[in-house]
Amino acid sequence: MEKNRRARFSLSIEKRIPVLFVSPCVAVLLAVSIFPFLYSLWLSFNKWELGMGQRSPTFAWLNNYAHLFTDNRFWDSIENMAEVLIFGVGAQFLIGLGLALLLNRPFRGRRWVTTLFLLPMMICPVVVGCNWKMIYNYSYGPLNHILRIIGIGEGLNWLGSTHLALPSIIIADSWEWMPFMMIVLLAGLQSIPVELYEAAKVDGASGWQEFWYITLPSLKTIIIIAILIRMMDTFKLFDLVVLLTQGGPAGASETISYYNYLTGFKFFNMGYAASLAYIQLAVIIVIATFFLRSLRKGEGG
Amino acid sequence: MENRRLRARRLFRPNDYLVIFVFVVIALLLILFLSPIFWMLSTAFKDKGEYFTYPPVYLPKKLDFSHFFNGLKLGGAKGIHDTLIVAASTTALSMIIGSLAAYSLGRFRIGGKHLAFWILSIRMMPPVASVLPLFLFYRFLKILDTYEALIITYTIFNLPFAVWMLKGFFEELPKSLEEAALVDGCGRLGAFYKIALPLIAPGLVATALFCFMFSWNEFFFALILCRSKITPVTVVIAGMIGGHEILWAEISAVAAMASIPIIALAIFLQRYLVRGLTLGAVKG
Amino acid sequence: MKMAAIKMFIGLVLVGCLILGGGSSFGQEVVTLTVIGDAGHNLKPFEWYAPIFKEEFGVELKVIGVPFGELYEKEKIEFVAQTGAFDICIVYPKFIGDFAGAGYLLNLDEYASKLGPRMPDVVPGYRDFYCKFGGKLYALPYDGDVLSLYYRKDLFENAEEKAAFKKEFGYELKAPATWDEYLDVAKFFNHKPGEKLAGKTLKTPFYGTAFYGQRDQIYAWWGNRFASMGGIYFNEETMKPAINSKAGVDALENMKAALPYCPPDVLAYGYEELKDIFLNGDAAMVIQWPCVGKKGADPKQSKIVGKIGLAPVPGIMKEGKVYSRALMPCGRVLAIPADSKHPWKAYQVIQWLAVVSSTADVSTPLTGLDPYRFSHFETPEAFEMFPTIEDAKVYLAGIKANMSSGYPEPPIPGSVEYIDALAVNITKALTGEKSSKQALDDAAKEWENITARFDVEKQRKLYQKLIAGWRAAGLWE
Repeated sequence: MEKNRRARFSLSIEKRIPVLFVSPCVAVLLAVSIFPFLYSLWLSFNKWELGMGQRSPTFAWLNNYAHLFTDNRFWDSIENMAEVLIFGVGAQFLIGLGLALLLNRPFRGRRWVTTLFLLPMMICPVVVGCNWKMIYNYSYGPLNHILRIIGIGEGLNWLGSTHLALPSIIIADSWEWMPFMMIVLLAGLQSIPVELYEAAKVDGASGWQEFWYITLPSLKTIIIIAILIRMMDTFKLFDLVVLLTQGGPAGASETISYYNYLTGFKFFNMGYAASLAYIQLAVIIVIATFFLRSLRKGEGG
Repeated sequence: MENRRLRARRLFRPNDYLVIFVFVVIALLLILFLSPIFWMLSTAFKDKGEYFTYPPVYLPKKLDFSHFFNGLKLGGAKGIHDTLIVAASTTALSMIIGSLAAYSLGRFRIGGKHLAFWILSIRMMPPVASVLPLFLFYRFLKILDTYEALIITYTIFNLPFAVWMLKGFFEELPKSLEEAALVDGCGRLGAFYKIALPLIAPGLVATALFCFMFSWNEFFFALILCRSKITPVTVVIAGMIGGHEILWAEISAVAAMASIPIIALAIFLQRYLVRGLTLGAVKG
Repeated sequence: MKMAAIKMFIGLVLVGCLILGGGSSFGQEVVTLTVIGDAGHNLKPFEWYAPIFKEEFGVELKVIGVPFGELYEKEKIEFVAQTGAFDICIVYPKFIGDFAGAGYLLNLDEYASKLGPRMPDVVPGYRDFYCKFGGKLYALPYDGDVLSLYYRKDLFENAEEKAAFKKEFGYELKAPATWDEYLDVAKFFNHKPGEKLAGKTLKTPFYGTAFYGQRDQIYAWWGNRFASMGGIYFNEETMKPAINSKAGVDALENMKAALPYCPPDVLAYGYEELKDIFLNGDAAMVIQWPCVGKKGADPKQSKIVGKIGLAPVPGIMKEGKVYSRALMPCGRVLAIPADSKHPWKAYQVIQWLAVVSSTADVSTPLTGLDPYRFSHFETPEAFEMFPTIEDAKVYLAGIKANMSSGYPEPPIPGSVEYIDALAVNITKALTGEKSSKQALDDAAKEWENITARFDVEKQRKLYQKLIAGWRAAGLWE
C-alpha cells in the first residue's frame, strides 16, 4: 500500500513537473513586472507634464498616440533605428558567424583567442562611448591619424557630419556586440552532434554542402533567437548615442530610445514618453512575431 | 590505423593554404577588434595633456599607475564590489529559475507559444517606461538604494533572456537520450539534471556569461534606483564624466579593472564552452 | 604669494567663526544632512569643511555624487516622488524655474534675513538671474559660469600678422569687439597645413575659431550673438516666442558664416574638445568658460601658457559704443528642498560655502568652481595657478566684465525642452538642412507648442515676474 501511494504521489508530481518547473519564473516575472506594465500603459493615455509641476496626471484619451503620428522627430528616430537594426545587427551577425566558424575547429591557443575576441563586450558601455569619442575625434583621434598615415585623405568627419554620425554609432555598437553573436553561434556550433558530420563524410559531402545542409539548419533556432535578442537590445541603444553624438548633429543620429529618454527624463512629459514606449513595444512585438513565425516554420524539418 | 588517420584529417585538414588563410584572417580581425582596447588601456596611463593632442599618444610617456589608484579611491573599489554582488546574485537566480522554465517550455510546450512569448515580451519593455513605476514600487516596499532592488530589476530582464536562450538549446537536443534515461527509471527531474543540462553546457555557459555581463554593465536602472548605499561601478564611472572635467584616464582604468572579474569568469567558463568533439558521444 | 593666500584663508575662516560665533554648537546634537550634486571635484568643498560643519553647526554630511549629465533627472524624480531624501542640492540654474516653480525648493528669504548671504557682493547678473525666482530667493550661488572670449595674445601682437591683417581688412588687429570683426579675425587666422602663421610653417590645420556644437549647450553660442543683437526669448505681453526675430536670424547667419573657419567636426564638440583645440594651440580664439583660463596656465594641460588673452564676448555697435551680452550657461547654485527636515542647518552650511569659503573654493585648481562675487574679482592673489599676479588680474577683469553683462539661460519651467527644440533647429540650419529663417520659425513654433502644453497663462505670469525682477535690478530693458 505504501509503495502504491508513493508511486502515485511521485507520478502525480511527474505529471506536474512541467508546470512546477515554469512556475517560479512566471511568479517572479508576474509579481514585479505587472505594476510597471500596467502603470505605464495607463500613463500613456494620460497627460502628465512634470516639467510644469502638474501634480497628477489628467486623462487624455488617445491624444498622445495621435500626436505621435504628426511628430516628425518620432518618425526620423524610427528611421534611424531601422538603419541601426539592419546594418548594425547584420554586421554583428555576419562577422560573428564567420568568427564562430573559424574558431569552431580546435587549434593551439583557441581558448585565448576566443577570450580576446570577447573583450569588447565586457567593457562598460559608458566607457565604450568615451573611448570611441576619443577615437573618432577629427583632429586628435587615432582613427583619423591612421587614415592620414595610410594616405586616405585628410581624415573623416565621423561625429560632426550628418552622413557619418549614425554610421559611427553603428560601427562602435557592432564592435561592442559582435562577440555576443560569436559566442552564441560558437556555442551552437559546438552543440551540433558530431554524428551528423560523420554521416555526411560517409556520404561524400563537400565542405560547402556540409555548411549549407547541416550547419545552418542545425543553427537555425540559435541564429534566430540571437538575432532577435540583439534586435531587442539594440532598440534600447542609448549609452553610445548620449556619449558620442547626443543625437546630433541635427538629429541625424537620434534613435527612438534616445528620443524616448529625452521625452521622459529631460522634458518629463511622462504621458507622451509612456506612449512612445508602448509604440516601441508594439514594433518590437511585430518584429519578434515575424522572426518567431519563421522559426516555427522550420520546425518538424 | 584507418580511423586514426580519418580523425586526424577531420581535426587538421592538411590543406596548407586554408590553414594559413584562417590564421591570417583571425589575426587581422584580432588586431582590428583589439586596437580600441589598446587605446583604452593606453589612455589609462596617460596624463593630462596627453588625451587630445596631435599626433595622438599611443604609448604614454610613463606607466603612471596613479590613475588606477585614484579611480579606486573615487568609488571604483566600492563600485566593483557592489556590482559584483548584484551581478552574481541575479545571474544565479536567473539561471536556476530560467533553466527550469526553459526546459519546461522547450520540452513540454507548456502554455503553448503564448506563455513563452509573454516571457520574452517582458524583456522588450523599454527601460524609460518602467523606471518610474519601478522607482515608486520599490519606494513603497522601502527597498530603494539596496542590493535587492537592483537584483530584482535585473532578474526581470535576465530571466526572459535566459529562458529563451536555453529554450533554444533544449529544443535542439535530440529527445532520444532523455527518453533512454526515463526508461532507465530516472524521473523527469533526473533527466533534466543529469542528462539535459550537461548536454547544453555550452549554452548554459554562454547564457550565464551574458546574464552576468548585462547586469555588470547596466547603467540606467542603477542610476535611478540607487543613491549612495549602493554604487554600481557603471554609475561611478559615469560620475567621472564631469561637466567641465572628464577623467579620461580614471574612466579607462576603472573600466579595465572592472572587466577583470568578467574576463576571469569567461576564461574559467571557456572550458565548458568549447567541449570539443566528445559532446555528441555522451551516453546514459 | 602662497603665504598671502594662506593668511587670507585663515582670515576668512576666523571671520566666519566670528560671524557664526552666535550659533556655536556646544551641546548640539549631530544631524546628518544629505547633499546631492554632480560627482567630481565640485563636491570637494563639502569634504574639506566637514570638520567645521560638525563643530560649528552640529552637522555631518553624506555626499551623493551623480553623473553630471543626469543630475537633473535624479533630483527631479526624487522630488516628484517626494522621497525627502536630500537636504542640500546643487542645482543647475536653468532648472530654478522648474524646481522653484513646482514648489520643490524652500524659499530662503526668511533665513537670509537671519544670516545674510551677502548678496550685494554677488555680480547682479548671477544674483538676479540665477538665485531668485519670482523675486524670491531660492538658492545661493556656488559656481559662476559665464562665457568669455579667449584669444591668442601672442598671435594678435605679432608684427607680421598685424601688418597682414591691416592690409586685408583695413583696421588694426585686436580682439574682435563686434561679431563682424569676429568673422574677419576668424577668416584671417584660418590656415591649412603648409601655410605660414607668425613666421612658422604649419604642419596641421589652424582654425580661426570653434564653438560648442553638441546639442545640450550649442544654443548658448548662438545666444551670445542673439542677446547682443537685442534678442529676447519671449514677448512678455503675449508669451509668443521671439527667437525668430531679426536678431535671431542674424545671430544664426553669423554663426553659419563662421563655420568654414572651424574644425570640421565642430558640431560634435563638447567641453573637452573645445578646450583642447584652443589649449593645444590649434585655434586663434574660442568663446568658452572661465575654467579654461585657469587650465590654460597649467603647463601640463596647455601648450600656450602665457599666450592667452581674455576679452569681452563680441557685441554690436550701438550708438557709438559696443553693446555685448555674455551668456551664462551651466553654473551651479545651492538650494534646499522644501521637504528637508533640517532646513536651518542646511542653510547654515550653504551660507558658509557661498560666503565664507567661496573665495578659496573658486580660486583653487582643485575644484572647477568659478568666481561670481565682486570680492572674488578683487583678490587676484588667491588665484595661484596663474604665473604672475598680473595674469590673474587680467583674467579676473575679463570674467567680471563678461559677467556684468551676463544674459541668462531661459530659467522658466520646461527650459530643457525649449533649449532642445532650439538646439536641434540651430544645428539643422548650420548643416544646411534648413535656412536660418525657416529653422528659427520652426523652433518658435515648437516653443509655442511647449508653452501651450504647459499652460500659456501660467508661463506668462512666471515670465513676467522674472522680467520684473530683472528690470528692477537694472539687467533688462
